[in-house]
Amino acid sequence: MDTIITFTNATLGYGRTAVLRGVSFAISRGEYFGLVGPNGTGKTTILRAILGSLRPMSGTVAIGGLHGTPLRFGYVPQRETVESILPHTVEEIVTMGRYRQIGLFRRPGAVDRGIVSESLEHVGIASLRHQVFRDLSGGQKQRALIARALASRPEVLLLDEPTNGMDLSSRLSILQLIDRLHSEDHLTIIMVSHLLDDVANHARRIAIVERDFFQVGAVDVVLTGENLSSLYRMPVRVERRGGRTIILAGGPDERR
Amino acid sequence: MNAGDILLSLVRDFPYALIGSAVLGAACAFLGTHIVAKRVVFYSAVLTQVSVLGLALTFLPVFPISHAIGSLGLTLISALLLSGLLTRRRLTRDAVLGVVFTGAIALRILVLQMTSTVDSAEIETLLRGDILFVTAELFYPVLGVAVVVLGLHVAFFKEFVYVSFDAETASTQGFRTAGWEMLFYATAAAVIALGTHMVGDLFVFGFMVLPAATALLVVRRVSRIFLTATVIGAFVPMLGLVVAFAADFPAGPTSLALALVLLLCAAIAARLRPQQ
Repeated sequence: MDTIITFTNATLGYGRTAVLRGVSFAISRGEYFGLVGPNGTGKTTILRAILGSLRPMSGTVAIGGLHGTPLRFGYVPQRETVESILPHTVEEIVTMGRYRQIGLFRRPGAVDRGIVSESLEHVGIASLRHQVFRDLSGGQKQRALIARALASRPEVLLLDEPTNGMDLSSRLSILQLIDRLHSEDHLTIIMVSHLLDDVANHARRIAIVERDFFQVGAVDVVLTGENLSSLYRMPVRVERRGGRTIILAGGPDERR
Repeated sequence: MNAGDILLSLVRDFPYALIGSAVLGAACAFLGTHIVAKRVVFYSAVLTQVSVLGLALTFLPVFPISHAIGSLGLTLISALLLSGLLTRRRLTRDAVLGVVFTGAIALRILVLQMTSTVDSAEIETLLRGDILFVTAELFYPVLGVAVVVLGLHVAFFKEFVYVSFDAETASTQGFRTAGWEMLFYATAAAVIALGTHMVGDLFVFGFMVLPAATALLVVRRVSRIFLTATVIGAFVPMLGLVVAFAADFPAGPTSLALALVLLLCAAIAARLRPQQ
């Protein structure tokens, strides 16, 4: 497979403070890759290094397809970070995904409007195009942000905590949408989440991220009770029922 | 004398006051809409106080430069330094701004103590900001800066709005967000500095906040919010001049009082409007 992202012994951090040391892994084109771990352990830091907004303090982060062709990333930030006082409509938000292609001094043209409409339909919110973004539900906001990322015509979709704070049905619906973008549109998916169930049942490979505990591999291999108990410093069991992975926190005493 | 006669009299006798306050009000209101949307209103309050300090410093013999240059220079330098300081993590953004705010006011008071009584009175007059006494020397620099700044902001409207809304995603698309932010604060600093010199800090700060807040209450489209705020910023100071002339009030505070009345009307209208 075509390797498009390679971390080699990378130390990542901010200023002079290292958050993660000795990070080595690779992601291939078409993968569904999950980054999991407790809050504040460096998952978003890895995402920033992939996006190029954070340079490694040492080691290398190589990004690019065959023959070094640059990758087109679609980034979906945590939706809590994009709250605005201004009443941006969903259409305006999604059009922002085209701004780089539109360029300076130019306004969105017919092609851009077409791509925006296509992206809205693709994520199932075409009817919300004139709604104000800040008035939407969490799930609708997430779809709008995914549509904006799709409007930039990406090869790789990076999602930062896409299901955080959602009710069960919205969460499932967003995860199904991401699955569809992976299987039907063949997008490479990189999803950051602290919700282990989400990643365990959708990603094919994962990285467990913590300061002194960085492991990469297939979900079944890495997501074990032993690893998770060590990561969260509490008993954690991993069970597989009906083709689904279930994470159970707490030991036998806590089950009562 | 009716309102029409007063307006004609203002056009004839105080053209720089009339057009200058309208141009400055429009520029402040447009930039203020970004400032309110970015939740950095305190930042503009800090810059107005820094520009006042810059103005006051030029009255000291050790700074033999023009008032406009002194105010503009110190405000631009502060804007650039603040854009770096505000991203550090040891102190919160509010704490850094609070330090600069109180520091600028304290230093201004000390500078006033060090100047002669005549200079001190002139500084106080400048700070009180009587729009009627705007001269050609004050008007043309403000007009030039306002035209350049508004031109830049109209040309790069989508970029400024995007970086303001979601800088993180904009940077992943290749936008140099730090550069756009610096350009935004530099343009705001230029308008604040020259505006403060022309009509005082209260007018500048007030027109950064009040028209934007008014437009946000009654308008539901982003581009129309900017347009509405700019129109309010342009017309209210002219109306303020007419009212001030008729009632023998100071023009700056009168304009701000009218802007406040308009804001209250907008708040009532927003309250009465059925929810969508």
